[in-house]
Amino acid sequence: MIEDELRAAFARHEKLTPPTGPVRAAIDQSVTRRRRRRRRVRLAGTALAMVAVALVGFTVVAPRPPEPGHLATLPAPVPGGPLNLLLLGLDQVDASRRADTILLVHVPADRDRLYLVSIPRDMLVPTPDGTSTGKLNATFSEPAASGDLGAGYRATRQAVTRLTGVRIDAGAVLTYAATRKLTDEVGGVPLCLPAPVRSVHTHRRFPAGCQRLDGAQAVDLLRQRYGLRDAVLDRERNATRYAAGLLRQVRERGTLTDPVQLSRLITSLGPAVTVDTGDTPLPALLSVVARTAAAEPIALGLPVRYEEWTERGFEPDPTRAPGFLDALRADRLAGWVAAHPEEVTPMGQR
Amino acid sequence: MTYEEFADARLGALLRYAVMLTGDPHQAQDLVQETMVRVQLNWRRVARSDVPERYVRRMLTNQFVDWRRGSWARRVLLRGDPDDAVAEPADHAQSAVDRDQIWSWLARLPRRQRAALVLRYYEDLPDAEIADVLGCAVGTVRSSISRALATLRAEHVEVCS
Repeated sequence: MIEDELRAAFARHEKLTPPTGPVRAAIDQSVTRRRRRRRRVRLAGTALAMVAVALVGFTVVAPRPPEPGHLATLPAPVPGGPLNLLLLGLDQVDASRRADTILLVHVPADRDRLYLVSIPRDMLVPTPDGTSTGKLNATFSEPAASGDLGAGYRATRQAVTRLTGVRIDAGAVLTYAATRKLTDEVGGVPLCLPAPVRSVHTHRRFPAGCQRLDGAQAVDLLRQRYGLRDAVLDRERNATRYAAGLLRQVRERGTLTDPVQLSRLITSLGPAVTVDTGDTPLPALLSVVARTAAAEPIALGLPVRYEEWTERGFEPDPTRAPGFLDALRADRLAGWVAAHPEEVTPMGQR
Repeated sequence: MTYEEFADARLGALLRYAVMLTGDPHQAQDLVQETMVRVQLNWRRVARSDVPERYVRRMLTNQFVDWRRGSWARRVLLRGDPDDAVAEPADHAQSAVDRDQIWSWLARLPRRQRAALVLRYYEDLPDAEIADVLGCAVGTVRSSISRALATLRAEHVEVCS
């Protein structure tokens, strides 16, 4: 009988069972490693969440000037000169993590307003070994494969520096998990879509117009690019709209002005974010950003063209990009924007 | 119960179970290791369940059934160890080949069906408990076992006739 043969086959193969000793040791080792990593990330996470909240919150759109007397009271030497911050939004699939939203925040020396420069994740950049080109979002995955988001951040930062020629002073990495938590924690995020979006992942429909998204919906929307008119570029615009809505929500609830709310938010986000503030102390950074964000920021995209023939990615537009990058490096974006108003991304906000 | 006590008592049995599921000692080790790491990290939750052993077996089975690109399976496959089959005594070579045909047929079954067979014919669990481990109805367990047996019988006839 087949049942008896099965029993016999199972019994016969029992001797394949590996000894428990080495397995036990390997388990313990792996647990130790993961615990240590968790702790490290959590520590970094607290600082990071502050920057992320401050950057995402304060920078993207400031409907009204921040209340005087909260973040501005932080005692810190305020750095002069222009600052560039790098925000990475992570598409986190188990083994391959890629930086799918890449936002360069430029703080000019005159602290007049913030400039948000979105860089397409499909930008073609030289690979680390310099022998060929690959997509910008892939620079994150290999160094981060071990779970060290910081290593991925540094690799992407280097690629962005090479691409744009600007020094990156600080930055943060946000995962979808962090985005979901953040969204739920602040009670949902309002945003306005210029066109309807249908999720290919969950079949959820996002109608055109203004709506309020909870965490799961927000992450779903941020993942969509198929079926959008400009695919990836439209998704990057939606990410900017999301950030704008998040800011408005956070400000309306007074989260940033209420230390209790802020610390609860940061605690809940803790392990999901990673930050690097470089040489600039965090409080100083926050105070600069808060001050500069009082005016309406300007959203831009790095001027690109689609390079279909070679590798199906973007490369800097040879006519428009050099002027833009020169202005960015020389801290003259205000003049450039005045001369090229068509390059400003409409926020789709009321 | 502490994690240490649990591992002392149950690790061997889990490894044997994983060998029956995967058919390969290396994959079994990776499967158990990955599961037990999560068990240890979340021990309080595991210990709260009525029967920790059953809870862990369910974790391990789910991990096996959900075997997907990008999870632990990729590491296993990339390592490319030859599938060292059981070395049988030489004088029984031919009969060993015949007998172990059934082992290789097992590998072709859908994972959920294989898990059901292992739970019934190796672990000797009652159908209700198999259903609990697999997270499905008792009727589903019975039908997937009979489907699996039918597949094996068909293979058997093909080879033996």
